[in-house]
This record gives sequence, structure tokens and C-alpha cells, in this order.
Amino acid sequence: MSSDAHAVHDGGTGLSNNKLLMWVFLGSECLLFGGLISAYLINRNRFGDGPAPGDIFDIPFTSVSSFVLLMSSLTMVLSLSALQRGDIRNNRIWLWTTALLGALFIGGQVYEFTTFLREGLGYTTSPFSSAFFTLTGFHGVHVSLGIVMLMSLLISSYRGTLRKENSETVEIVGLYWHFVDVVWIFIFTVIYLVPSPTT
Amino acid sequence: MQRFLRPAGMVGALLALAGCAADAELDTLTPKGPDARTIDALSDPVFLVAGVVFIIIFGGTGYLWWRFRDDHSDEEYPEQVHGNFRLEILWTIIPTVILVVIGVFTIITLTDLNRYEDNAMALSVDGDTTTWEPEVVVVGQQWWWEYRYYFGGTEGLDLSDARHLPPADIVTANQLVIPVGQEIELKMSSRDVIHSHWIPALNGKRDVVPGRTTYWKLEAEEPGVYFGQCTEFCGLSHSRMRMQAVALSPADFQAWVDQQVQPAAEPTDPAAIAGMAIFESQCARCHVIDGVNDETKGADLIANAAPNLTHLMSRTTYAGGIFNLYEPDGSLDRTQLEAWLRNAPAEKPAYAEGRRGMPAMGLGETEIDDVVAYLETLGTRPSMDVIVATEVE
Amino acid sequence: MSEQTAELTVGGDAAQPLGVYSRPKGGGGWRDWITTVDHKKIGILYGGAALLFFFVGGFEALLIRLQLATPNGTVVGADLYNQIYTMHGVTMVFLVIMPMAAAFANYLLPLQIGARDVAFPRLNALSFWVFLAGGLFLNCAWLFGDAPDGGWFAYSPNTGVSFSPGHGMDFYAIGLQIAGIGSLISAMNLIVTVLNMRAPGMTLFKMPVFSWMILVVQFLLLFAVPVITVALFLLLFDRNFGSNFFNPEMGGDPLLWQHLFWIFGHPEVYILILPSFGIVSEVIPTFARKPIFGYEFMVFSGIAIGFMGWGVWAHHMFVSGIGPISVGAFTLSTMFIAVPTGVKILNWLATMWGGKIRLNAAMLFATGVVSMFTIGGLSGVTHSLSPADTQQTDTYYIVAHFHYVIFGGALLGFFAGFYFWWPKVFGHKLGETLGKWNFWTMIVGFNVTFGPMHILGLNGMSRRIDTYSPGFGFELWNMVATIGVFIIALGVLFFVLNVILSARRARGLPPEPPDPWDARSLEWFTPNPTPVHNFDEDIEVSSLDEFWHRKWTTDENGKVVRKATAAEVCQAGDAENVHLPSPSYWPIVMSAGMPLIGFGLMYNLWLCVPGAALVLMAIYAWVFEPPDDPDGPFGHGHDDHDDHGDAEAGDESASDEGAPQEEAASVE
Repeated sequence: MSSDAHAVHDGGTGLSNNKLLMWVFLGSECLLFGGLISAYLINRNRFGDGPAPGDIFDIPFTSVSSFVLLMSSLTMVLSLSALQRGDIRNNRIWLWTTALLGALFIGGQVYEFTTFLREGLGYTTSPFSSAFFTLTGFHGVHVSLGIVMLMSLLISSYRGTLRKENSETVEIVGLYWHFVDVVWIFIFTVIYLVPSPTT
Repeated sequence: MQRFLRPAGMVGALLALAGCAADAELDTLTPKGPDARTIDALSDPVFLVAGVVFIIIFGGTGYLWWRFRDDHSDEEYPEQVHGNFRLEILWTIIPTVILVVIGVFTIITLTDLNRYEDNAMALSVDGDTTTWEPEVVVVGQQWWWEYRYYFGGTEGLDLSDARHLPPADIVTANQLVIPVGQEIELKMSSRDVIHSHWIPALNGKRDVVPGRTTYWKLEAEEPGVYFGQCTEFCGLSHSRMRMQAVALSPADFQAWVDQQVQPAAEPTDPAAIAGMAIFESQCARCHVIDGVNDETKGADLIANAAPNLTHLMSRTTYAGGIFNLYEPDGSLDRTQLEAWLRNAPAEKPAYAEGRRGMPAMGLGETEIDDVVAYLETLGTRPSMDVIVATEVE
Repeated sequence: MSEQTAELTVGGDAAQPLGVYSRPKGGGGWRDWITTVDHKKIGILYGGAALLFFFVGGFEALLIRLQLATPNGTVVGADLYNQIYTMHGVTMVFLVIMPMAAAFANYLLPLQIGARDVAFPRLNALSFWVFLAGGLFLNCAWLFGDAPDGGWFAYSPNTGVSFSPGHGMDFYAIGLQIAGIGSLISAMNLIVTVLNMRAPGMTLFKMPVFSWMILVVQFLLLFAVPVITVALFLLLFDRNFGSNFFNPEMGGDPLLWQHLFWIFGHPEVYILILPSFGIVSEVIPTFARKPIFGYEFMVFSGIAIGFMGWGVWAHHMFVSGIGPISVGAFTLSTMFIAVPTGVKILNWLATMWGGKIRLNAAMLFATGVVSMFTIGGLSGVTHSLSPADTQQTDTYYIVAHFHYVIFGGALLGFFAGFYFWWPKVFGHKLGETLGKWNFWTMIVGFNVTFGPMHILGLNGMSRRIDTYSPGFGFELWNMVATIGVFIIALGVLFFVLNVILSARRARGLPPEPPDPWDARSLEWFTPNPTPVHNFDEDIEVSSLDEFWHRKWTTDENGKVVRKATAAEVCQAGDAENVHLPSPSYWPIVMSAGMPLIGFGLMYNLWLCVPGAALVLMAIYAWVFEPPDDPDGPFGHGHDDHDDHGDAEAGDESASDEGAPQEEAASVE
């Protein structure tokens, strides 16, 4: 249908506009997190009189919640492949699981934040604390938005409009979800795995 | 060849026009110190190269306009040339080569400028002869400069917090007094926002950053007064944050040091005594006079400091280097000083919420007279050379 | 999705939309403009808004020059001066040059690549309205008497809450944040458009140079905007929530701001200038009547500038104390970015060489860019020498430099574009006589204003000072510069007159016949002004300058001979029943919510509630509105439609992946 305003022409990327838009958007997000991670790296030694990163991090706990988030990427893949097979039921199950794992991760983050707060690491305590909460907070907001997207997919699934033909929508949400996971691997490495200064 | 000389000459004329403006006290093209000279030696040829390139492009555009204008004699299309790979490679390479050459010289100059000499001079401080490796601690504050001299060296001193610096041998403001022929190392910081220290005749500029120490240097070849200006936007009165470097012969510098290390003399004149009482009750909240108050009495200023006034009269400017203390004939400019004491924010803009800059003190006219009488006792008047050189208007 | 087929199964929502969700009819008048998703109208909106802000920023420039005309100026006080110069910079960069480039990009990019619209028309409308919301929000600061006064570069800690306790810098941070969202959405949209929607046969290397430059700019925006977003967030958090990123009292580092700002700020310079390079690369070949010289070099040098632009940011920080090694490295990278720029200039000159140059207003402006930008480029090289830069930075020499780049490069290029594409957009040419007056007054005024600033800077006049004392040798050239700015104002007046008079002259006359300039690229296939559906049918592209090659060919002697007239080649613009996306209310509604959130952050958090409610409502409605208005004027023979894709927009503005509108998803 060549007179269609938006037919994909020769020389295109082969990706649909929607999927390409998501890729482009994620490219931009890389720089957003790049900036935030730099701001953290510059400030990790600047804890002043407040708690030092090395004193306060509970690495085993965060490792578990990181594992939870990584597993959610797996379930995201499973939900997409279910839908591509036309298996609506499994698609819903895995979407639910993904959202649940995401929520579990957010719960872990809330728990971590409140613990830190109790131990005297507030948002305004030191440049380190500001940078830590800002970076992980931005990531948490991204995960939460991902959960909202997953829930929207579920709603449309229960309304009967999420079918094999538009599995690309799930794929696009999946792209976002995997991106947020990959970013977490970087953040987890930078914040928790690289040896942190102690007081 | 002549075709190239003429434009070069024109550029030279332009530079001369720029450089030789009368009274261009801040001129960047008339270096008076080795560092500024090094910079000038790098930039002048580059100005010339840039000028030649500009003439070629500009002249070329004009020539093409004229040579290839469409005279509408026919409707024929010109020959359709799509490019010439070798030509394009050529004019990718030529600028690259020019820039490589410039780049080499730039890096050499950069290295030169970042090499600090190990010079030292003998100095008598309070009767003791010491060896001083000339260095001055520079502190920027909204909207004036403080210069601190540590003749025992700054090794082992904590200079990281400009609001709490260790006591110095000499603390002065707005005029950086230096001996000629010595490279002076500057260790710089700020009490509030970022400023930039710039004495164009002696060297380029360097920012002063709160929470950091930045390093720079300068050297004057001849005695004289060299003007400077804060060049990093620092809030309301940024334009009124100026300073001068006063270069003295070694003997004059020694004499200056001898005066500066003395505490303020007790006033004898009754008006001055009354003025000192006012100073202690009002001004001492922010200002320090050695021998009167060793530290400020708790000012409600963000940066918690104001210029040290112990030897006020030995300087030729005040209020961030914007007002001359003396008339050209060497007498005190009383009118301006009284106006400043009467209502400083009217003379030099300050934020309405206060806490930065000198506030209006609400002094009565007799009180102002008394304070001026007291201030007149503080320090020795500098030489007429310096006073005259400070006049720019 | 392109090859998948899906039955259009559910008519439900689409056929009987709920009232609030039905799409506007777009029957004409102002409603048409605020609901439009047509890239051409959006382009005109961008242009109009940019011109409006240009007058605001220009007025600020006049005040600046009046204040500095004489020593100890008293036209405006120090406080007001600092607000004016800050807003002048912010306005000209973010609210004039960027949106004006967006105006050209929006209008011309789809036409030049032979597309019917951009990939996501509603997102396109959203980016304009969000930009406008940000711009108006910023200028609201004047009404509150509290405009930003920390400079466009907003160096901390001067912009922190202890040194800038008013709301000025909040206006700055939030306003730019909002405008940035608009730029980012627009960048994503145009990238997808170029990559996916080119006409059949148009490979990337058959795209006009203008389209290429716009593509490079969108990638720069895509990666630069998030960096300033981070910086502005940190500034906002510092100011409003007590974080310590830039607060040295708590151990924060003011230089972090500088790095973040300039990592954005230097690519931003190329964001400002490359669109103009693109325009010049279209105008010069047309009026020199030769193809662009060294197309590949032009494209690759543009790409090279885009890449190298990321490696030079710290040359803005040569005197900030970053250490000699960094200074040396950035010195060299900065020098060599001059090479691709120089290649462009020489290729433009080579394009003119041997041509038959028609020196009309458009060509005058384009060649004006070549020579004026050269001055800016050369002075740029002189301060890439970091030792020399320690004398030059933060003086009027720099002010002269970047005005030669941004005014002499970007703005004059836009004027070339106005004169060149005016008939395409409005159906009539701008007057040539007034156009030449426009050019000569502007170029003379420009040089009289900014030329002396080189001298002032080298004489040691600092930037950003509200006044100077007599006796430093600044008097003469400041007065000259002030006279110059009024000559520029006269030039702008000639332009405004030209717009009004040429419109009046064209009233009642038939529109300009197709191809008024014997032009080269795809946009000229359409009649003037461009019909709402752009092309009657897709154009099969087989070469660069496709349009020209359909009109002309070379005979065996290499002579150019006509093979068809423009009238034969151009489309009639009378296609009927072309399916077009329907207008939508929601882009403007969504963008209206954002300033409310901004005001809420500054004055009363409760204000955020209606703001967020507006945004959320708009996202919800965006997702649920039917893909088409069944009663719309543009035909609805088929529902194949991309608009469901717009829901992805949602991701950007924090929405869900709206599924329901997927019902309509199908491509035949």
C-alpha cells in the first residue's frame, strides 16, 4: 500500500517504527544512567561525617535482590515466547511473574533505603548519600514504570486484545525491561562489587 | 609572495590597533611578564595564520561571487562537477598539517607554563632573615580578593578550607604586592562561589574554586601596577571585583613587608580614638585589624570574612579594587570613602537579603568622620608612583 | 511488524469512540493548529514560536548593548542586567536556534526523504507543545520578577540555594528540563523517520546533505539531552531537596556541574550549527547551478564533527584547574575538530567555483554564512590553544567568537533557508529587493556589533560584566557595537516588512508555480505550498538530486540539456482519499500539565497534583483515543495506521504500554 503514510519503505532498518523508537530511546537512556553513574563514582569517597559506603552496604542482601531482578528477565523472555506460540495462558503467567519479581526487587530497595535511613544515611547526609539515593532511586523509578507497563499488558490481555499478532508489543516492553536489568548489572557492580571506601 | 604579505600586514595593523589602545590596562597583547610573554609568543603567529586563512576564504568568496556570477547571457548550465577526490584529500591534509605544527608549539607552551621554578629570595621578617620561596595564598570572595603571605612556607598547612585558613604573616586585600623578577606561585581557593584570578599583563587566568586549591603563577619584569579583574561570573557585583598586582623592587618589597608585619598602631587623635571604638563595636563583626581584634566577632556573612584593614592606607584601592583611596595628588579621597561608609550597597550593588558584601552601617555623620580619622591611622601611604599608576580615569 | 498481517478485527472502540476520546475534526481555524499532527503545520508552529522568542531575545540584546554603550551604564542595574544576559543566552540557544532548526527539520525532512509525515505524528505535535511549554515557563520568570541570573552555563555553587535563594534558577532548571523533553522526543521521532521512512530507492547516501545534517543533529540531541537532564536534576535536587552534589561545604564538587554541562554543551554547539550547514549545502548548489562538491566529504565531515564534538567539552574548562594533562589532550582534540569544518567550507567554495551564481537573497545569506562562520571558526582555533585561551576565555573575544558561530553561522543560515523555502511553505516568494536590504543591513550590523568585540576581548574586557570603568580603553568599541546592534535590528525590521509586504502582494494571486529556483531535491516535487498530503504518490529515487536529474540530463558532449520541464516533473498535488493521521487534543493537554508541575515544585507541591493529573489524563486519552476520526476530512478508507505506535511515546513520558489501541494495529 504505497500511498499509506507510514508504510515501511525500501532501505529501512527492517525494524518496525515502534521497535526502532524503543531502541533509540534506550540509547538515550544509556547516557542518562551514564551521567548518574559518573556522579556516583565521583562522590563515593565523599561521605564526610556520615556513614561510608563500605560500612553500610549489605552485599548478600543486595545480591539476592539483584538475582531476583535478573530472573525477571528470564520470565520476560518466557512470556514473549509463550505469546509468540499463541499460548495466552502462559503468557499471562509469566507476565505476572515478571511483574512480581520486579515488585520484589522494588520492595528490597525500599527495605534497603529504610535501613540506611535508620543507620543515619539520609538523602542530605553527604555527597555520597545524595549520589547513591539518586542513582538507585532513578533505577527504581525505571523498574516501577516497567511494572506499570507489564500491568498494562496484563489488562489488555484480560480484555482479550493481547494476542499472537501483536506480540511485538510484549517484545518492546521486554526490550525496556531487559535494558533496566542490564543497567542494574552496571549499577550493582559500580556500587556494591567494586570495593567501597570505609571510614 | 606580495599577495600574502599585504593581508598579513593588515592583520598586523588590526592587532596593533587592538594592542595599542590608550590606557588599555587589561590588554592581553602587551605582556609585562615572562608567562604572559610566552603566551603572546604562541598566539601572535596563530593570529597571523588565522588572519591569512580568513583573507583567503573571505577574498575567495568575494572573488567567486564576481568571477562566476550568472550574467544571464545564456541559459546553459555550467559543467556539472561532483567533486575531486584528490583535491578534497589535499584540503583535508593541509589544515591538518598546519594544526599539527600549531599543536606541537601549543603543547610546548603548555608545558612551559605548567613548570614551576624553585626560585627563592632572602627576606627579613620581623628581624629574622628567612628564605622565602615566593608564593601567595589567594582567596576569592564575593566581591573582593584576599592575599595571604606565609613566609615560613605553606608546607604542612591545611589550605583546603578557605573559610578557616591558618593565621598568616600578612593578610591584605585587593592588591597583590610582589617583588619584581621573582616567579610568584599562587595557591588559590574561594570562600563562596567560583571566581577567576586574572592579571592579563602578567599571565592568563585561573579559576578559584571553593573546596579545591588551584595553582597558578605570575611574574612581573618591571615595577608597576598591573590591573586585573575577576573573570568568572560570581553573582551580582561580578563586574566590580577587581584587583591589581603591585610589583616592587626587592628593596621596596622588603620595606613593604617590614610595615605589613606590624600590628596597627594605637590611635592618639581623639577623633581616631572615637573611630576605633566604633570599629570595635560595629566593624569588628566582620573586619580584622591586627592588634585590635584577632578574629571577627561573628558576622552574619555567608563567607564569614571581610578585608583585613590593618594596613588599609598602604593600599591604593578598596571595595574590591573599584575605588581609589587617594586622589592623584596623593591626598585621601574623603568623599568617596565617606559615601562608602554611609551606604555601601548604594556604591556597589549587594543582594537585598544581605549576608554578602558590605552592608549599610547606619552611621551618623560624626561617626563617619571618626571612623575615617581612625582608618587614616592604619598603615603607611604607598609611594606616589603606585598612587599615580592606580589612576586609570 | 512490517510483514505481519493482522485482520482488522475489532471495530468496537474505534467505530464508536467515547465522546471524550473522539479525535478532533480539524475543520480549520485555530483549533486546527492546536490539534494538528501534520509535520508541516508543526514546522510552521516551531518557526513562529522561534521567531517570537527571537524578538524577546533580541530585545534583551538591545538592552544589554544599551547598558554597555557607555562606561558606568545605568540603563539597567546590575541585578536586572544579570537576569537579562542570562535570559538572552538561554532564549537564543534553547528557544530560538534549536526550535528554528526543528522548524526546518520538521517541515523539510519528511519532504526531502519522500515521506508523507514523520514516523509518529502525535509525538511530533507533543514535542512542539512541550518545547513551547518549557519556553513560556522560562519566560514566566519575568512576570514573577525573578528571572534566572546565573548565566546560561549556571555554574555552581553560584546557582545553589545559598547564593541564589530566589526562584530564578528553579525556573531555569525546570524550564530547560521541560524543553529538553521536547527535544528528546523530537530527536527520537526524526531518527526513526529517517531510518525507516525514506522513499523507495533512497539509500542513506542519496539523501540530501540537509537531511543528513538533521540526522546527525538528532543523534547528538539523543545523547546530549540526557546528560543535561541529569545535570538539571542534580541542580534541582540540590536546590530543593538538600542533596549535596555541587555544595562544597558538604564536600560536593562544583566541577561536576561543569563537566556535565559541557558534555552536553559542546555537542549542543554542533546541534545549533549543523542544521544551518545543511541549509547552506542545499542553497549553494541550487544557485551556483552545480551539484554539491564532494557530497561524501560533506556528509562524512558532518558525521565526523558529530563524533568529535563529544571529545572536546573540557576546552570550556581550560582555566578551571583540571590539570595540564587533560588540558593538553582537550587542546589537541579541539584543534582537530577544525579539520572537518574546514573541509565543509572549502567544499562550499568549490561548489561555487565554475558555477553560474545567482546572487539572490538566499544565496547572499548562504555565502554570508560561509565567510562569517569562517571568522568564528578561526577565532575558535585561536582559543583551542589552551595557553592563549587563558587570556581569551571569559572575555569579549569569546563573545565575539560564538556570535560569529551562532549568529553568523546558524542564524544567517536560517535566513538563507527562509528565502529559499518560503515559496514551498507559503506559496509565494519573499521580495528580493527587501531581501537584499535585509541581508546587507544584517551583515553590516552584525560585523559592526561583533567585530569590535574581538578587540574588546583582547583589550581585556571581561564577559558578563554589567558595567566597566572609563580608562581601560573600552569606550570606543562598546559604543560602536551598540550602534551595530541597532543596524541588526533594522535588518530584522526589513525581514518583518518583507514577510508582511510579500504576503500582501501575493494575496489573490495564484501560488508560485512549481520549482521556482530550478532546485534539486525531493521537496520540490510537490506544488507550492505543499499540499496537506505531501506527495500524490511515492517517488522512486535513483540518485542524489533526484528532482534535478528528472529535469536535466547530459548529452554526449557533457552538456546539460533539458529532458523535462519542472511542470511535467512536479506532482499536481490533487490526490484524493489519501489517508492521513487525525489530529489530536492530547499533545497540547499533556504539555500544559508540565509547567504546572514545575510551578508546584517551586511554590506549592499541591500544584503538582493538577499538573500530574493533566499529564496522566492526556497519556490515558492518548492511548485510548481511536486511531482515526471516522468523520474526519481526510478520508478513512483503510485503518492501517501507525498511530498505535505513538503509545510508545508513553514510555518516554512515563506511561504504560497502552495495549487497547493495538486493536487497530494492522498493516496491509
